[in-house]
Amino acid sequence: MSTPSNDKIENALNSISGMERATAKPFFFTRLEARMTSKMSLWEKVSSFLSRPAIAIAGICCVVMINALVILSDSITIESAPKTEIAGIMDEYSQLGTNNLFEFENVKP
Amino acid sequence: MTEKELIVLLKKKDREAFKVIVEQYEDTVYNTSLGMLQNEEDAEDIAQEVFMQVFESIHSFKEESKFSTWLYRITITKSLDYLRKKKRKKRFSWIQGLYGENDEEMAEAPDFMHPGIKLENKEEAAVLFKAIEKLPEKQKAAFILNKLESLSYAEIAEIMGTSIVAVDSLFQRSKKNLRKDLAAYYKMNAQ
Repeated sequence: MSTPSNDKIENALNSISGMERATAKPFFFTRLEARMTSKMSLWEKVSSFLSRPAIAIAGICCVVMINALVILSDSITIESAPKTEIAGIMDEYSQLGTNNLFEFENVKP
Repeated sequence: MTEKELIVLLKKKDREAFKVIVEQYEDTVYNTSLGMLQNEEDAEDIAQEVFMQVFESIHSFKEESKFSTWLYRITITKSLDYLRKKKRKKRFSWIQGLYGENDEEMAEAPDFMHPGIKLENKEEAAVLFKAIEKLPEKQKAAFILNKLESLSYAEIAEIMGTSIVAVDSLFQRSKKNLRKDLAAYYKMNAQ
């Protein structure tokens, strides 16, 4: 049934039928080019270079390798560490027996 | 020069080919984003971003679909992303307002007037665009592509990566929602 309200709704729905297309403002390409040039700052160039898959994967490999090297070299030093550590503890222990500055400075051989 | 040749040149980052493509499609992209965003400055901004992405990622265009389809897809995605960001910003400023951190309220946008609307339809079109703004994302995209760009259901289906039946369903639902919203508007304004 056609009511005044239904007519209004149909009119509104049909109001954009046959409308013209909106056009971009003149010199769109000039503005676009200017934006593209300003966007490519030094940091953006650096980040776009770093985000290339080949560079990113190579970077990750380097980080993993450095980590592996550090862990391996740590385990080697840990193995040789006990001797010096024990010597240090012994020195400390022998100094603990001293009660005053005189004894500390004149440790008996 | 054919479109295929232009794309080959664009893949080699040829500026002249890029210029030809931009001039050929700037109105298509602008009109679509204007329909989606209902703001001329935002539409221009998104149109520029679309072409920047075209220039940067043309190598990912496999030429399995038409170039215009790919371009429409980027435009719709960018417009929807922008609308989501705007909605998030609005919600955040509302929350800030609750705690008294944000004194400035976000101004309500004035009624949108599409430049291509006939003078005698301006009033009805403004009401319709207000209702379109409230549609869910996919329904809005389907409605805009069909009504503003006069694309067929098959073309819209390709752009949205869905079936023709799904597009038809989206379109019918969008019309139903618009009718409901317009009915409420006219009922409220009749009193």
